[in-house]
Amino acid sequence: MGLEDTSARVVANKHLFGPLYLMELDCPAVAANIMPGQFVHMALPDRDASVLRRPFSIFDRDEDTGHIEILYQTVGAGTQAMTGWQPGFETRMIGCIGRPWEVPFSTKRALLVGGGVGAAPLNLLCQQLVDEGVDVDVILGAQTEGALVCRKRYEEACGKEPRCSTDDGSFGREGFATVLVEEALDAAQAAGTPYDYAAVCGPEPLMRAASGLIMDAGVACQVSLERRMACGVGACLSCVVETVDGRKRACVDGPIFDAEVVVW
Amino acid sequence: MVEMSVNLNGLAMKNPVTVASGTFAAGQEYADFVDVAKLGAVTTKGVSLNGWEGNAAPRIAEVPSGMLNSIGLQNPGVDHLKAHELPWLQGQGATTIVNVSGHSFQEYVDVINALEDAPVDAYEVNISCPNVDEGGMNMGCSCASVEQVVRGCRDVTKRPLIVKLTPNVTDITEIARAAESAGADALSLINTLLGMAIDAKSRRPLLSRVVGGLSGPAVKPVALRMVWQCAQAVSIPILGMGGIACGEDAVEFMLAGATAVAVGTANFSNPFATLDVVEGIRSFCEAEGVSDVNELIGGLLC
Ligand SMILES: Cc1cc2nc3c(=O)[nH]c(=O)nc-3n(C[C@H](O)[C@H](O)[C@H](O)COP(=O)(O)OP(=O)(O)OC[C@H]3O[C@@H](n4cnc5c(N)ncnc54)[C@H](O)[C@@H]3O)c2cc1C
Ligand SMILES: Cc1cc2nc3c(=O)[nH]c(=O)nc-3n(C[C@H](O)[C@H](O)[C@H](O)COP(=O)(O)O)c2cc1C
Ligand code: FES
Repeated sequence: MGLEDTSARVVANKHLFGPLYLMELDCPAVAANIMPGQFVHMALPDRDASVLRRPFSIFDRDEDTGHIEILYQTVGAGTQAMTGWQPGFETRMIGCIGRPWEVPFSTKRALLVGGGVGAAPLNLLCQQLVDEGVDVDVILGAQTEGALVCRKRYEEACGKEPRCSTDDGSFGREGFATVLVEEALDAAQAAGTPYDYAAVCGPEPLMRAASGLIMDAGVACQVSLERRMACGVGACLSCVVETVDGRKRACVDGPIFDAEVVVW
Repeated sequence: MVEMSVNLNGLAMKNPVTVASGTFAAGQEYADFVDVAKLGAVTTKGVSLNGWEGNAAPRIAEVPSGMLNSIGLQNPGVDHLKAHELPWLQGQGATTIVNVSGHSFQEYVDVINALEDAPVDAYEVNISCPNVDEGGMNMGCSCASVEQVVRGCRDVTKRPLIVKLTPNVTDITEIARAAESAGADALSLINTLLGMAIDAKSRRPLLSRVVGGLSGPAVKPVALRMVWQCAQAVSIPILGMGGIACGEDAVEFMLAGATAVAVGTANFSNPFATLDVVEGIRSFCEAEGVSDVNELIGGLLC
């Protein structure tokens, strides 16, 4: 599937909690073609001073309506400007970019681990795995209860409650999600139904620690890496990731990487 | 009908627009957006003899109306370019300018020697990269070393030799004259302006290399000034660049004295930027009653 630069129109743009927002856009080309883990490179048409687009994962899509959802966190000027986009606002996005999650054939049980806004690119994967009949466990970590904005979506998608941790203990286990990862791995092992695959997305220290635990348990693990991106199509070499096979481009050689090749 | 073709002292271009080296790879990554045969030329990413690793990430930072980069000329080496990118460009019917880099005088010569049997229409010798410790910009900052590099390259090729200048010098016209006297067929300018960006809260630089090259609309006034000054100083043609994003930007460079232009950073926000610039020049000429783009070159009234 080739890349396209398509127009996208804002349908809704809601504040969820703290720095977290959910934007719904009308963009049939992306809604139809996105594979879980891929991303779009989105223009900021109202920011003249910005010479670069911004990369975003697709949180959800509806092929029938042609709508997509982006779950985003305000970080700097670009994402701050996005919070002001009203329904009807037109932007452009290059998509669908990058290597999707690649789940090993014959996976029966999978573990998805999302930290903060890193839970966004796992939602479509969760839906896909459930559709394929895979038994999916979800672990979500966030700073505080209100920031666990994806909890309900994941519950709907996989029919069971995600296991949650919060840094402040306001919901679920207090502390980092890695503790829950360790417990889930042990429990699956003890039950004689170990995971066949795990996907992790979130802050890099979490991805590093969680993927380490997962690989130690002998489970195939992939991570989704973020780098600053200029072109977003593989041309400029801005977005390099260190791997055991040398430097790779996060935009087109990733953003999904096998955890075992990443040099953290 | 507007006559769009220009000639960069031996390099025939069907229109005045190429891409700025390093922003477009060799065009394959942009193939879904741009038919490279429609461009005046494609300028490839800087290539060295055996390839370089480049710098650590983060390699870019956005700044108001521009960006900093410290890619560090990461490239897989000249053999890879010959085996993969150049045949593809030839197959597409592109006019090809290869951007040549080196850590030493000899490396530039060796790269050109390695390319002499390949489908290349011109060389752009990059003596202006601010992101490598040896070679690059250092070589472009003194007249003596500029002459030495250009002479070495001139001796081994009859193909059009474009020399790419750094703006990080006190007097760019001296360097321009040195390149001309050593046998350059054309000059290209500007490469990026050395700059830096800091995150106040974390007290850290935004680039892992601390400093990097500034490009985009922020540098356009500097680039225009330098193109204009060089056009007065030398008689060889100029390939102008720095912040060009639309047809009118390109026309301004031509009025300042550029024969052709390159589009760099603008590709990142608009993958069709090069084609938009070609069309923008054409429609400017139509609207202004200009029948041949060559009439614009050096047409500044002052
Ligand atoms: C493949 C991919 C998918 C992403 N998906 C999401 C998502 O679903 N939801 C979400 O909230 N965020 C996501 N991000 C991060 C998002 O791109 C950044 O938060 C955003 O670019 C910040 O822009 P800004 O102008 O607000 O910040 P600024 O800090 O002002 O941006 C300055 C520059 O740095 C870049 N930048 C800053 N932070 C990041 C970052 N974490 N990753 C990459 N580039 C960065 C910007 O793109 C811009 O070029 C994703 C990043 C990547 C690479
Ligand atoms: C990401 C990036 C990579 C670049 N790589 C090269 C390079 O390999 N060789 C070179 O001569 N110039 C390189 N440049 C400089 C550009 O070719 C150009 O001179 C400069 O960016 C100014 O033009 P612009 O403002 O249109 O981008 C690079 C610029 C950028 C932004
Ligand atoms: S962002 Fe340009 S190569 Fe990845």
